[in-house]
Amino acid sequence: MSPSVIRGIFDVFSLTSILVLLVLGMAIIVGMMKVFNMCQGEFVLLGAGTAYLSYQYFGSVLLGILLAPVVVGFFGLVLERTVIHRFYANPQGALLATFAIGLVIRETVQTRMAAQSSLVPAPISSSVNIGGAVLPIWRIVIMIVTLVLALTIALVLLKTSVGLKIRATLDNPELVASSGISTKWMYAWTYALGAALAGFAGAMIVPLQTLYPNLGYENLIPMFIAVMIGGLGQFAGPIAGAALIAIPGGVLSQFINPVSSQILVLCFAIVFMRFRPMGIFQRGR
Amino acid sequence: MIRLSESNPSIKKEKDKMNKTIRRKNLLKVSGITVGVLALSSTLLVAPSQAAPATGSPIKVGVLTDMTGAFAIVGKSNKAVAQFTIDEINKSGGVLGHKLVMDLADGGSAPDVATQAASRLVNQDHVSMVVGGVASFTRVAVRGVIATRGKTLYVWPASYEGNECTNNVWNTGSAPNQQVDPTVKYLLAQGKKTFFLAGSDYLYPRNILARVRQDVLAGGGSIVGEEYVPLDMTDASNLTSKVVAANADALFEVVVLPGTAPFIKGVVDAGYKGTIAGTLFDEGINPLIGTEAQGLIGVQDYYGPIKDAFSQSEVAKFNAQHPEAKGLFTSTFNAPAWYRSIYLWKAAVEKAGSFDTAKVNKAMDSVSLSKSIGGPVGFAPGTKHLKLSMYLGQSNGDGSETVLKSLGQISPYQCSAATN
Repeated sequence: MSPSVIRGIFDVFSLTSILVLLVLGMAIIVGMMKVFNMCQGEFVLLGAGTAYLSYQYFGSVLLGILLAPVVVGFFGLVLERTVIHRFYANPQGALLATFAIGLVIRETVQTRMAAQSSLVPAPISSSVNIGGAVLPIWRIVIMIVTLVLALTIALVLLKTSVGLKIRATLDNPELVASSGISTKWMYAWTYALGAALAGFAGAMIVPLQTLYPNLGYENLIPMFIAVMIGGLGQFAGPIAGAALIAIPGGVLSQFINPVSSQILVLCFAIVFMRFRPMGIFQRGR
Repeated sequence: MIRLSESNPSIKKEKDKMNKTIRRKNLLKVSGITVGVLALSSTLLVAPSQAAPATGSPIKVGVLTDMTGAFAIVGKSNKAVAQFTIDEINKSGGVLGHKLVMDLADGGSAPDVATQAASRLVNQDHVSMVVGGVASFTRVAVRGVIATRGKTLYVWPASYEGNECTNNVWNTGSAPNQQVDPTVKYLLAQGKKTFFLAGSDYLYPRNILARVRQDVLAGGGSIVGEEYVPLDMTDASNLTSKVVAANADALFEVVVLPGTAPFIKGVVDAGYKGTIAGTLFDEGINPLIGTEAQGLIGVQDYYGPIKDAFSQSEVAKFNAQHPEAKGLFTSTFNAPAWYRSIYLWKAAVEKAGSFDTAKVNKAMDSVSLSKSIGGPVGFAPGTKHLKLSMYLGQSNGDGSETVLKSLGQISPYQCSAATN
């Protein structure tokens, strides 16, 4: 295989793993909880910001990556208990409220930033030569971490009692509540988990980009498309959805220009939604 | 996805409430418009003339820049440079016996905000002239408000993509012939034969790269690839791979912030060995690129280490007087252009002997400054652009610049369709 073919394949895997990593949190909040969380992108931004601040004050991006899910998860917990829980019966309200929260976070970051964008170095900045193609190790780390994280979450949700409680709460809260489980806190912790995952993703990807106020917001649309294609109601759908738009996007843009490939992928998403409006794992009705 | 149930009584109640609010809002709107029209007609009736200020009264200089939003860092520099220049002029006696005062308006890094800000400067504050704008979209949005309808002099102090020839508008930044031509000439002279062009997908990069293409082909080089990335594309790794695969001798890139650093870093890390050139590298932008800035080639109207005693002493004074903007006196933040803009306008006012827009506009056509930060500059009659001193620079990994060559004065840009 020529180096450019290796690079091409690598790019597709890299772009796909990044989108899947970004979508993990959304798969829980939007996919499973069905909260149209417009501030999901800002959770990503806050995670990236945590990595940046940790680099600035403690000189360690790695520490920031570990702190990001804790910080953003706690933020998500507080947000759920103060705002989000009021909107479970009112999806339009949730849409607006979370959009407003996202706007406030974005603008706050904007005014607090000294420059247009800030650099955050990768914890591992070296590259590895595979068959003549020089590939950055940090992207490989992201691929492995994404795979491990996605499998772990899926296992926890499907095989453990905590996962069972979460799924039961989202499926039939009355029944769960009457079984003596606090649905209030199940919702809050599930939302916090979704936020923590987004924060972690932000901290992981910011070394590949730079920290700027729209970092999360610009990823929001592909994230939402992934969830819509994947379908609501379960965890695996959005993950498959992310792969389904990232792979053609990555392959196409190697042959045609990125602008056209973006348009084609969006067209594909529209056509797909027309024929499978309930998502990839749509069951016969 | 979201279904509204008409039968749900609580939703119906909500809707009724909403309808009522809407009706009330309409009423408010109508009365608001009425008041607005009345207010407008009264201002039109009493609008004072800006032509003849009373002797010794201060003259307002409209300073339009982005104090908030994506370009806030540029705004911080622009505001400090404007204040510095105005203070300096006032210390030496002002303009025609009048002191200058800065009237600052925030363009918010957005064309709609900038339009309102410009309108306030011209229609409410009746400034004598407006200098400002960071991005080209701001210039395009405000030039009508200020120069065409506002009949006020507008100085556009930014390095830009060319072709601004509106009446009452004066360009004091460098144009493609002054930045791109010498850069490509240098690369060709270095033996670079094949070029890859990469940019963000909007007006500025497309126009700059069109000029690069023209220059490369005219100089006997060839273009092996040209690619644009959408502004909202957060990961340009596909473009990186294409650049590496094409393996051109030189990469001319106009991928703008925040994409610059990841793109250049990606290309360098992937093993690209050619020379990288562009229009947006200097002490202002390099720190945002990081150590990968090492070796970037470009041409600007000013770099920190240029050998010009006047520039050195002025910038030292600036850094001392404006510690809040220390280190922000850079070419990519348009600092030298802001400085000369106000001095060129002063020279034109003094030549015209009046603040009257039409007279100053006529005088601007041929004013020049024997010294300015970056070197002597002057308008060539009929061009609306400056003859500018330019420098070829190479970036260092620590963010600083090395001046490779002083290119002397380069003749001004010519508009293809002059509207003046």
